[in-house]
Amino acid sequence: MSKILEVKELVEAGKSKKVGAAVQEALDAGSQPAEILAAMVDSMSVVGDKFSAGEIFVPEMLIAAKAMSKGVDVLRPLMAGDNSASLGTCIIGTVAGDLHDIGKNLVTMMIESAGFTMVDLGVDVADEKFVEAIKENENVTLVALSGLLTTTMPSLKSAVETIKSCGLSGFKVMVGGAPVTPEFAAEIGADGYAADAGSAAVKAKELVK
Amino acid sequence: MNQRENFFAMIEGKKPEFIPNSMEVYKSCILGTSITDSPLMGGVDSFGVNWVATKEGAMPEPNKFMFEDIADWKAHVHFADLDSLGIEAAAAKELEDFTQDNRNEQVVNVFSGCGLFERMAAFMGFENALCSLVEDPDACREFFEALADFRIACHNRFIDAYQPDVLTYFDDLATANGLFMSPKVYREVIKPSHKRIVDAITSRGVIFSQHTCGKCEEIVGDYVEMGAKIWHSAQSMNDLEGILEKYQGQLIVEGGWDSSGAASYIGATVEELIEEAKRCAKVYGQKGNFILMPTLLNENGNSLIVGDPRLEPMLKAFNEINHI
Repeated sequence: MSKILEVKELVEAGKSKKVGAAVQEALDAGSQPAEILAAMVDSMSVVGDKFSAGEIFVPEMLIAAKAMSKGVDVLRPLMAGDNSASLGTCIIGTVAGDLHDIGKNLVTMMIESAGFTMVDLGVDVADEKFVEAIKENENVTLVALSGLLTTTMPSLKSAVETIKSCGLSGFKVMVGGAPVTPEFAAEIGADGYAADAGSAAVKAKELVK
Repeated sequence: MNQRENFFAMIEGKKPEFIPNSMEVYKSCILGTSITDSPLMGGVDSFGVNWVATKEGAMPEPNKFMFEDIADWKAHVHFADLDSLGIEAAAAKELEDFTQDNRNEQVVNVFSGCGLFERMAAFMGFENALCSLVEDPDACREFFEALADFRIACHNRFIDAYQPDVLTYFDDLATANGLFMSPKVYREVIKPSHKRIVDAITSRGVIFSQHTCGKCEEIVGDYVEMGAKIWHSAQSMNDLEGILEKYQGQLIVEGGWDSSGAASYIGATVEELIEEAKRCAKVYGQKGNFILMPTLLNENGNSLIVGDPRLEPMLKAFNEINHI
């Protein structure tokens, strides 16, 4: 088995203790860092698809993301300054009035695994904070908003409106959360919607391409 | 039949006269679990976890973990001395206006919050807890066994103090899309301790009600097998009609309300609430094993706690069409 294939399989199986060494072996065998990173992104894409299809569950997705993170740790020093594989920066947060972070955290991991640099603003984020973060960070290509409760759906609407009318451009806005539907996302002016963390990564890539 | 008689007809698999609703059939008791498990108004619980009060109820302070590796649980988890918590005084206060006549009319339902998995997540966060289930199942099992011992001791104190008919045990194991963990992981890691909790309650002659939000239909059969008689907060993303049919005479499904639908939106009209209640009665209520639980959130929080002027006209309309 090629070393890169081994890395892919280890990431998909969530073997975080073994991925670092396998990445190093792939490098030693002559693979380029960007090539190895792309292989791991592919693995996470497979993981996301399996999650969305109900073939695997949250823990398996989480340990795969952890495993990829271990592999990225090995590659990071070698790829400093090389942003060619990056899909840009994604600002993410749970909207004002909502303290739930599980869904948001899962989406963060999956979007990061797809190749974005994540800026996580946490929970109960005021609309203006999203705008400030867009201004403060470089190459923001995506803003992802989460809300779990029907009572915070108005906050999603308000956040989208504030972000869209802030005068800044070059990014897309996507929304998600248990009560959110594609119709609601379209109604409030979001560019995209995802039903779960796996499809969020797919949608994120689609929106910025 | 009064509410109590109608409820026990359902429990015994007989035909009830009407579809009950959770607000009128139960005297729900929450102060005991507020002391032992999750402080209703927020604050530090008996394990040292800080809870933040939100409009929808208290939740563990986000991103503040007691430990991150389940293998370390013994160094951090200390079980409280139950004699020191004041459970009996809380029960006496909660029942001080509840007379024997009331007991003859209603069903006493004691809540027990923050079950095995939720407690693990309260200690170490959801992501760490979920990873632990597959990365270190042996340490998880050991933790759950110790926690089950504590919960059983708490439940015995609740049963002595409240003399309840029902104990509702809360453990959220699912998202709106499906279980957090695979059914196999649930069955191998959590279920053995969960079953001990169920057995300890039913062995005292108390009806076991399992609360699990979200799409958890894959393990509802496990709940029934363990001895649950009620599945609480059964949400409409599950195949409720199929479950009502399959477990008729064995399981009461309590819930039904579409908590993501129009009747749950801020600003929903009384007419929309009535339509949702009627939909539940028509679709779920006719087999005699359904209790309506309106999960209605408003600007101030959960209507069951903070109240809502729309509930009374909705229940009035529901009670006009709930005969079976």
